[in-house]
Amino acid sequence: MSQTNNTESLRKEVRNWLEANVPKDWRTAMTNVEQDKFVQLQRDWFVKLSKAGYATPHWPEGWHGGGRSLAEQKVIFEEVARADAPRLIMYFVALYHAACTLFECGSEQQREKYLDGILNGKIWCQGFSEPNAGSDLASLRTKAERKGDHYVINGQKIWSTMAQYADYCLLLARSDNSGPPQAGLTYLLLDMKAPGVSVRPISQITGDDEFAEIFFDDVKVPVENLVGEEGKGWAVAQATLASERGLTLVELTQRMRYALPMLVKSMEENGLKEDPVLIRDLGRLSVDVDAACALADQYLLKRISGEEQVGDASIVKLYYAKVLRAFSSLGMKIGGLNGQYNAGFMCGATQETGNWTLDFMNSYNWSIAGGSNEVQRNIISERMLGMPREPKSWQLGE
Amino acid sequence: MSVEMSELKDSVRRVMVDSGLDASADSIWSQIVDLGWLMVSVPEELGGLGAGVEGACAMHLELGRGLCKAPYMPAMLTLDAICQSELASKEEWLERIFGGEFISVALAQSDVRNFENGLGGTLSGVLSADSASHLLVWTNDLEHVVLVKMDQPGIELVAKDTWDETRKLFDVQISDLALNNQVSLATGPVAAKLVQRLQGQADLALAADALGGASALLEQTVEHLQTRVQFKRPLAMFQALKHRCADMKANIVAAQAMLFDSISTMQEGALVAKANKMLSCDVFADTAEDCLQLHGGIGMADEHPCHLFLKRSLLNVHLSGKSDSYASEIGSRLISLAK
Repeated sequence: MSQTNNTESLRKEVRNWLEANVPKDWRTAMTNVEQDKFVQLQRDWFVKLSKAGYATPHWPEGWHGGGRSLAEQKVIFEEVARADAPRLIMYFVALYHAACTLFECGSEQQREKYLDGILNGKIWCQGFSEPNAGSDLASLRTKAERKGDHYVINGQKIWSTMAQYADYCLLLARSDNSGPPQAGLTYLLLDMKAPGVSVRPISQITGDDEFAEIFFDDVKVPVENLVGEEGKGWAVAQATLASERGLTLVELTQRMRYALPMLVKSMEENGLKEDPVLIRDLGRLSVDVDAACALADQYLLKRISGEEQVGDASIVKLYYAKVLRAFSSLGMKIGGLNGQYNAGFMCGATQETGNWTLDFMNSYNWSIAGGSNEVQRNIISERMLGMPREPKSWQLGE
Repeated sequence: MSVEMSELKDSVRRVMVDSGLDASADSIWSQIVDLGWLMVSVPEELGGLGAGVEGACAMHLELGRGLCKAPYMPAMLTLDAICQSELASKEEWLERIFGGEFISVALAQSDVRNFENGLGGTLSGVLSADSASHLLVWTNDLEHVVLVKMDQPGIELVAKDTWDETRKLFDVQISDLALNNQVSLATGPVAAKLVQRLQGQADLALAADALGGASALLEQTVEHLQTRVQFKRPLAMFQALKHRCADMKANIVAAQAMLFDSISTMQEGALVAKANKMLSCDVFADTAEDCLQLHGGIGMADEHPCHLFLKRSLLNVHLSGKSDSYASEIGSRLISLAK
């Protein structure tokens, strides 16, 4: 009972703080603006939220904002979603991937060195995928060669979100070619300002350039930036990828629930509020959204209580990706021809902007990135349902 | 869920597996009575286990897995109504029911009016009406909820040849039944509340039953794909088939998360129950449709149980309210809230 009282008073506190502090009308302010303005807004909002302690409730006790109970974390994320605060997409990798990797696998010195930086607005990117290593991540070829007290990095990464603004990179590279593909990978923290790093933003189908390619040309990384052991980077990378699930999906599913009235508004704007087919579609979608919320909640509880099983995370991600696609599809259906006109690009768009075709395109982020739907289905069928893997080898010309 | 309840759930699964899908309705019913499964949701002060809706749904899920032929669902619904009723002799009735007496209820249409010369009308979707001692009936104006004795003039049963072989459905025609001669459960506002509760409970029960059926069928389908070898490999190795199984698994897990979330957060209100009924029954029907396809030719053979799941899933969709009308109701509610 007293715990409920505590979370309820926290809810009130967070709600009041958000009401006073969420940048007013940021959606309009972020539509059709230059990138540097967007970066500024993200940074300002992040620092504000971080100072208040609401950016890092998932960090352990002893760190600023950290040590919150699961129930408290959920309250904060629900309220952030409810207040429709800007999503911190520039800090996502720093707050989740980098921080959780350092907490789980980093050394004391690494935590000391990098975590305060994150709180002060340092931006991180992730260097995992390569042009020829997407779903088959373990086949990556960027080289990390040990030379004295340095690793020398050569190669290329792709689909790195916000790499053009990043201060640091979580790098997964190959240090050994002799064994099975997973065995020769090494996990490093790389300074993006180091000589030999170059970044080329990728222009996307949405008109945004949220992703970039990173090229490494004899880039030196000091040995103390090794996370875990040399050759054991695969396990560290799994910890990184796991960190984006759980709470993130609680936030995203809640945001989707709070965005349902946008569909109603769109029906109203298009004179379709009485359309029986759309009303029915809306009803079905909202039930799917509720199921996604319940699923994300249940997953988080399992994770915290140590009952998580292989494949649980894949189910949540796969289901969220499906419902998100359905959400924007219904938006496009309601929007009709109007939905086909670009209502202005919103920098740092959340998943639900009401610019329905943009939202539809952005929904692919969740069905492709972080392990595509197809990879998730392999994990579910093989590791949960116990179905066998396909035969491994295949030769050209066979 | 309490330890006691979760142990009971495990034992229900064992009993259902041991009995097999071929077990007759009568033999399952006597197990249900003997093992005290009817007492699950009855409050402790009335001699039950007090496991509430959560306990009931856990039971329906397990019995759905085993395609239970006995009318456990209507029995649980009418038991709940008796517990919630204004009946003076509740204990006596509960004792009779715990002892095996069965009271049924219409799970589809109910059109009964209170005419000058008594109750008259039609009920459809009445499960196992031929083995019921009484039938729970409410009037369209929701002024009266009564238990009607089956063995009396003015009651006529019409057995329906239902595709779902795991359940026996009846239409019941009622004519000129004197209201005063029936057992009254509630009148006025209490009656209306009782009917609403019963419909919500029916929706949740059907949702749980559907999820049990879908889970069991998916497991059996995966097993079939593991053993059936074509092109020199088990079918389960083909990604095209694996991915369909993965999607079904995700849909079932999500619907189940929603069902137990709805129950545990005690979200009152008929719409939540309707949302669950719609989602879970649709998931079961979709799962069953695809699982038959994944079985190939053997799925079309009567001796294989695949069709039993399919037919039960199709019937579930049509019991209680229909998905389309529920979806419309939920959509309209969202629109009115957004104003």
